Amino acid sequence: MPTPDSSPTLLSAQVTVRYPGKAPVLQGISLDIARGEVVGLVGQSGSGKSTLALAILGLLGRQRAIVEGKIVFQGTDLLTLRERELRSLRGRALSLVLQSPLASLNPALEIGTQLREAWRAHSERAATSDDCDRAIQSSLKNVSLPCGGNDRDFLRKRASQLSVGQAQRVLIAMAILHRPALLIADEATSALDVITQSEILELFARLNRETGMSILYISHDLPSVAGICQRIAILHEGEIVESGTVEQIFTAPAHEYTRRLMQALPQLPVQREVLLARAHAVTLD
Amino acid sequence: MNMNKSVRRAFLQLLVCFFLLAAFAFAQNGGELRFCLRSEPKTFDPALVDDDASVAIRYLTGGVLVRANRKTQDLEPELAESWSVSKDSKQITFKLRHGILFSDGSPFSAEDVAFTMQRLMDPALHSSTGDAFRSGSGTVSTKIIAPDQIAITFPAPLAGLEHLFDQVAIMSAHSPKKEGAVLGPFMVAEYKAGSSVLLKRNPNYWKKDAAGRRLPYLDSVRLDIQPNRDVEMLRFKRGELDLINSVDSDYFDRLAASSPQLVHDAGASLDYEFLWFNQVASAPIPEYKRAWFRSVNFRRAISQAVNRDDLSRIVFNGHAQPAVGPVSPANKFWFNSKLKAEAYRPDAALKRLQDDGFHLQNGTLFDKAGNAVEFSIVTNAGSKPRERMAVMIQEDLGKLGIKVNVVTLDFPSLIERISQKFNYEAAMLGFRNVELDPNSQMTIWLSSGDNHAWNPQQKSPETAWEAEIDRLMRAQASTADPKKRKESFDRVQEIAAEQAPLIYLINQNALSAVSNAVAGANPVILNPQTFWNAERLTVNSQARASR
Amino acid sequence: MNLARKLACVVVVFVCAVSLAANWLAPVGYAKQFREAPGAPPSHEHWLGTDEVGRDRFARVLYGTRISLLLAPAAALVSTLLAALVGGLAGYLGGIWLRLARGFTDLFLSLPWLFLLITVRAVLPLNVSPLTSVLITFLILGLLGWAAAARVLSTSADALRNSDFVLQARASGLHGPRLFLIHVLPNLKPVLYAQFWISIPVFILSEANLGILGLGVAEPLPSWGSLLRELEGLMSFREEPWRLVPLVLLIVVMTSFQMLLSKEEVTA
Repeated sequence: MPTPDSSPTLLSAQVTVRYPGKAPVLQGISLDIARGEVVGLVGQSGSGKSTLALAILGLLGRQRAIVEGKIVFQGTDLLTLRERELRSLRGRALSLVLQSPLASLNPALEIGTQLREAWRAHSERAATSDDCDRAIQSSLKNVSLPCGGNDRDFLRKRASQLSVGQAQRVLIAMAILHRPALLIADEATSALDVITQSEILELFARLNRETGMSILYISHDLPSVAGICQRIAILHEGEIVESGTVEQIFTAPAHEYTRRLMQALPQLPVQREVLLARAHAVTLD
Repeated sequence: MNMNKSVRRAFLQLLVCFFLLAAFAFAQNGGELRFCLRSEPKTFDPALVDDDASVAIRYLTGGVLVRANRKTQDLEPELAESWSVSKDSKQITFKLRHGILFSDGSPFSAEDVAFTMQRLMDPALHSSTGDAFRSGSGTVSTKIIAPDQIAITFPAPLAGLEHLFDQVAIMSAHSPKKEGAVLGPFMVAEYKAGSSVLLKRNPNYWKKDAAGRRLPYLDSVRLDIQPNRDVEMLRFKRGELDLINSVDSDYFDRLAASSPQLVHDAGASLDYEFLWFNQVASAPIPEYKRAWFRSVNFRRAISQAVNRDDLSRIVFNGHAQPAVGPVSPANKFWFNSKLKAEAYRPDAALKRLQDDGFHLQNGTLFDKAGNAVEFSIVTNAGSKPRERMAVMIQEDLGKLGIKVNVVTLDFPSLIERISQKFNYEAAMLGFRNVELDPNSQMTIWLSSGDNHAWNPQQKSPETAWEAEIDRLMRAQASTADPKKRKESFDRVQEIAAEQAPLIYLINQNALSAVSNAVAGANPVILNPQTFWNAERLTVNSQARASR
Repeated sequence: MNLARKLACVVVVFVCAVSLAANWLAPVGYAKQFREAPGAPPSHEHWLGTDEVGRDRFARVLYGTRISLLLAPAAALVSTLLAALVGGLAGYLGGIWLRLARGFTDLFLSLPWLFLLITVRAVLPLNVSPLTSVLITFLILGLLGWAAAARVLSTSADALRNSDFVLQARASGLHGPRLFLIHVLPNLKPVLYAQFWISIPVFILSEANLGILGLGVAEPLPSWGSLLRELEGLMSFREEPWRLVPLVLLIVVMTSFQMLLSKEEVTA
């Protein structure tokens, strides 16, 4: 068990990931996340964003992927941990929300079952099913899903009976069941329509605000990232080419690739200002 | 005028047709005879023949010195013009025909007969045909008196000696083709393992018909290897096969209903179905069971408890007769007419069992020591009549409180159990008898014999009655006097009935089927029932096609 | 519930009930031989006639149905569970396990079963009661019938292993047998169901064929397999149509089962 520490840095990763006989997928990445911070990781598909997420969770399949460097989380290098220790972190201190909400829920199981299983994976021996229910209810409440009383039927539904937005909320509820220190959202809003997307973004921002959990928000979509992050790192071809505050990135992009990203944004006259305003609103809130 | 012309034209047309037909029929010659072998022939070497399929091929390809006529049951000269047996029954002299060639063209002489006999009697060859000649210890000597004359001398008297030569196909001493060179009407032309054997007419076959035409009439015989009798019957009905040597009674009746001209019931045959108990001392069965099986009362009781009339009536639709013993009543000379088939008498059977200390309690039979009487009967899978007989015997014995378990096994496993491992309790099989002479049953009756099913290959007879049978069998084999031989063998049949080491169930009737396309067929009870006169059969393939 | 399904339900319940009540419904025992009337056509006494040794066909069908309808599904269950275990687990574990399991199933499928079964018969005692022989037979079928299904399952499970929801579950800290039981197995259900239902008629027929090796249901006990074997070589259906009853029954029952099942699967 990693000993809890109180340094302001929650996660500090310096990693290179490669597969045998191939060029590195991630090359000397350096990424820090402070406690309570929301960090955006932006890059196009294939840039290695998801690889980083999985590397942090230790889900890359160590026999095939070679992960070098260190990933210090709460003062412990995750890369030195054994699978059993990693397992106790996954879903408890570190959790993940994936891109396609419907595919990430087991089609054969009721929502309630999946939530209960996720809770049980880290529950204490003495925990009762009441404890479990309470945790689930509070989680559902946090993500604004029907809970308690007459809405118990919701837990009996299956993935196929949910809307995409609901499914994503269920996944988030599952991810925050154990109040993780870091939530990694891997393209968590990409599959959603614009309105749902903004609702979910709002939810992430609120969770960060209310619980103080750090969020690593991975996306290819710069505007959505800008909405909730304090800092942004730009990932390009396996390397972090630039990182800084939202303002820095938007006003003074230093790297060629970042500039290209900015130019690719829709050039409505007010766009940039609006984005900036939103960014400030979130960060100053 | 007009009319006259058309009549003439019609006549001409008719004439042309007639000539065409005649030419066609002539070109056709004897045609091809087709039937099934029910198993793979194990060998084409006539000395090693042991199985039905190989016996059939040997019959069609092998030339023999003398042949038992399957219809008259008389011995007829073949390669030997004449023969004489010495007074002491130890020597036989053959006078051979002249100018006979093997199928490959090599000439036939006394040397070939000598070679064949020497080879047959070679102990290393383990020839079951050769075993029939072994009446005493010592060697068989052959003496070539002239190229067309040979004397064969045996160490001990051998009764019915001349009859044994029906099974001895003469092989060439010199031909490089070995068993490929034959003297019979046909020769093996093609063998596809698992599929078929094609026999072609032997162009050098010596025999001619009354009109001076060279036999055989047939051009070829196609033997398809087909173990499934249903398929065989189906193909016969479709006209793809010309004859079936033995037809199951079910099929027989069904075929008789639709086409009575195709079926032949020649009456009780020499074949029998029988049941026996394992009496082998070293067999891996419980001691108390061995004690039952070795008790004559037990065996006789079982024999009396089996309703043979029901077996023949139900399983064979009446095309079978309750069996008396090792000799079928169809074997006119050798059958002991004083004997009768064991009658169905369950009460007498129970009485016998009680004499042995068995007792019936709540419908279950127990022996003296309190063991419930239960045993298994093994038989080969795939024979419906045998499976049905087993079920009926199971029911019959059930009435005596005996629990019978019927186990059907694949043939190789069954043979392994009954002849090598002896891990069985009772077995049921059929015996295909090809010969009339009791000498052919030597290996069954001698306690040292391989086919002494209930307890084979004994070093010395384990029971007095087996010793007595040994003595009688040797006695009948060593005298030339048919009357004395008959007396001895009658006594063997009586002991067999008293001791019931083999429980004879039924003699099947010889049921066969012959297609309309075959001319000259005359089915008999002796094997090979339908093609015993194959050399004189013809097949009209047009009649076959039109069916 | 539509009409066809209702009908199927009625058929299944009826057949099960009737066969379970064979002791009371059968006019006579299945082994009783009416030797005066072998091979008789249907009559007032023998509703479906008698077989070749005079046993009442109706009684034999009733008892045979009970044996086969009870044991074939049991054997199918055994083989399906084995398939789920081997195929499902291998697919779920992936990598070397998957390759090993595929190699093993391929080997298993290519073994000369005829000879192995002969060996099995050789080591079994000859004196087993008919009922024991039935149990042994279906147990053998169950233990041998899993391989083909395991192949299919390993592929499905392999796909599941790489699915998002399994990744999500692992990211939630689930692992090991629990992850397999909760997340993988339920998704293999359709394949398992299909395998289960396909196996039943296959086993019923295989049982009859095993008789050739001395392994099938022993006389005098009837089973659908042995009743169907009596049809072998039957050339005149038109003369004796009642002999087809076991075949018709098999088809009707299997179809009914399928009909009931396919609906269940959709809602599952």
